[in-house]
Amino acid sequence: MSDTNEPIGAATVVVVSGGSRGLGLAIVSDILASGASVAAFARTLTPELTALASAHPDRVHVASVDATDRHAVAAFLKAAEARLGPIDALVNNAAVGQDSLHVHTSPDDIARIIETNLTAPLLLARAVLRRILAKGNRGRIVMVTSVCAQRGYSGLVAYSATKGGLDSAMRTLAREMHGRALVNSVAPGFFASEMSSVLGQTQLDTITRRTPSGRLVEPENIVPIVHTLLFDDTNLNGQVITVDGGASI
Amino acid sequence: MSTLSRDQIRAMMAEVLVAQGKQMPGDDQANLEEIGFRSLDFSELALRVEDEIDEELNFDAPQLRQIATVSDVLDFLEQLQAA
Ligand SMILES: NC(=O)c1ccc[n+]([C@@H]2O[C@H](COP(=O)([O-])OP(=O)(O)OC[C@H]3O[C@@H](n4cnc5c(N)ncnc54)[C@H](OP(=O)(O)O)[C@@H]3O)[C@@H](O)[C@H]2O)c1
Repeated sequence: MSDTNEPIGAATVVVVSGGSRGLGLAIVSDILASGASVAAFARTLTPELTALASAHPDRVHVASVDATDRHAVAAFLKAAEARLGPIDALVNNAAVGQDSLHVHTSPDDIARIIETNLTAPLLLARAVLRRILAKGNRGRIVMVTSVCAQRGYSGLVAYSATKGGLDSAMRTLAREMHGRALVNSVAPGFFASEMSSVLGQTQLDTITRRTPSGRLVEPENIVPIVHTLLFDDTNLNGQVITVDGGASI
Repeated sequence: MSTLSRDQIRAMMAEVLVAQGKQMPGDDQANLEEIGFRSLDFSELALRVEDEIDEELNFDAPQLRQIATVSDVLDFLEQLQAA
């Protein structure tokens, strides 16, 4: 299988971490609209995600899982495959935010951010790739990172470190999974969600002013990029695609 | 944990300002922008208070963004010590 020159096919069963709200929920909806199946989790299930699961019982598997609990994640993947078939794609989307100067962020908080935003996604990617390889399949991985990995933003030191770490891991995985997986990152600029709700109007106005396209990013702008990375034959591999209205150029 | 009084914190704030050649205003309602007390000056003051009480006072940036006057600085540091 690894010797084939055929393009890696469109995703058929996609794991989405943090699929309960915000960008993750929009990605889950898009995958379903594309006809593929989704296994989504978050610590707390929302009515929106539960409604999608009820509407598509044969194509959606959801559960309340903490991404940092590797045994719960392993059980989730097993149950998802039993229900939906072999997993061949992952959107590593779950993360926690930060809004505190590094010198005033407690060591426990720094450890929690790294565990959730870097260690857990690395372990999830590992678990999904192990399943793909063991079955002789090929697949696709999308990391949701951030423009913070490329530019400095005050109050986001640990968060930025995790996103930069994921982008680096993404490139190395893309090389390591030669012919067996396409691995890419999507790096959004700031968009309105529970995570960014700490930003005040003044900060949002400043970001908008500094954005060449003149408007803030919305999940609807990011979803088509994730879609392409999951379903289209683009031969994109090992890339960070920044969706920020040009704010970081 | 030992705590510093409002007057002790005010005196430390004056030290931070004076070290930069600035004046500590007599009026606690004085605006921080006008007296040149910036957010990293608040960080310096908070870290000096931490050194004195031997305890970390960690906090998020949104709380820091609310601070506009000398009185706000003193209130916030009192509040952090009490937390
Ligand atoms: N919003 C922005 O401005 C922005 C900008 C750039 C990049 N991003 C990235 O975009 C992605 C989505 O962010 P968002 O803005 O949509 O955030 P959000 O609305 O806060 O959603 C985060 C999702 O992750 C889940 N999650 C968090 N911790 C988890 C854990 N330990 N285990 C399982 N699930 C967990 C949340 O559910 P529970 O809390 O119930 O677990 C939720 O479903 C993140 O990777 C974020 O870093 C966001």
